[in-house]
Amino acid sequence: MAQLQFNTPDLEVTDKWEAQMRKGCLEMAVLASLWHGRLYGLEILRVLERDSRLVLSEGTIYPILNRLRVEGLVQAQWVEAEAGHPRKYYELTQNGRERATRMAETWTEFSAALGRLIGPVLKDKELERAL
Amino acid sequence: MTTNDTQMNNYLARLRAALTGMTLAEREDIVEEIRTHIRERCGDPQTSVEAILAGFGPADELAQQYRTGLLVQKASHSISPVLLLRATLRWATTGVEGFLVFVIALFGYGMGGSFLLLALLKPLFPRNTGLWAGPGEFSFSFRMDATMTNPSSPVHELLGWWLIPVCLVIGSLSLAGTTKLIQYLLRRFRWKVPLVATTQARPTMMVM
Repeated sequence: MAQLQFNTPDLEVTDKWEAQMRKGCLEMAVLASLWHGRLYGLEILRVLERDSRLVLSEGTIYPILNRLRVEGLVQAQWVEAEAGHPRKYYELTQNGRERATRMAETWTEFSAALGRLIGPVLKDKELERAL
Repeated sequence: MTTNDTQMNNYLARLRAALTGMTLAEREDIVEEIRTHIRERCGDPQTSVEAILAGFGPADELAQQYRTGLLVQKASHSISPVLLLRATLRWATTGVEGFLVFVIALFGYGMGGSFLLLALLKPLFPRNTGLWAGPGEFSFSFRMDATMTNPSSPVHELLGWWLIPVCLVIGSLSLAGTTKLIQYLLRRFRWKVPLVATTQARPTMMVM
């Protein structure tokens, strides 16, 4: 069986596609990171990286949090920290919890349906590796 | 003051200056949050302030992300054509979809505004303003040649004073329809409006 070979432009297209896909999930991921309670910006970055391999730059997360706050999906509060300097914590509002729930449901249904479609692709790939 | 403090303060000063179009309290809130983040990360001896600031990107681009986010958010709940056009113009700079939305907005508001203008012109220039019909012509327009006074002209005005309510209704519907459509598109596809237009080099695993 012929092996699939990817040239550089193909990889670039795949990378861009992956970046777009991740970008589309960003709002859901940020909301989900706050599901268990309030976090401040740096903590959100770490949770996203640890739990979902979403590596965001500092310059990305704060404008998104600000937009979610303006939209009423999260609320922010400055809290005096033990370290001595205050931190701005974010937590989900009721609207944010509802939005996160709807997004998670949609994502789960969508990925399950797509999983059935792409299952054979991965199965063939595994067979190739085995040979 | 250490070199790190100087670098951080210079960056925050540039950010503050670039955060236009928002209240002083909003601006200071953003600046303080960024300052807190930088200070906390500077606590790690393996992290340099240069690397942290590089993660934030240029101060004017960071400010632009905040401004774009707020602009799209405000516009998606606003009925102001100016705000909606600004948001779609921002979208238009990012690709074909955005450009099409901007053209739709421009066309819708242009058409609505033209009809309202005709309704306003009718009382001032009753003989020049109307719905004109004739060989190869059927249009709402303002005509310099006063064809209403010329019975032999092949072009005739059809509506008379009814032009005013008709134009007001069509113009208002066009403005309202465009506003609703653009609001819907901004809410539905707002994640497609990039927070920042120019992309800086970042590792491929990064989202943005």
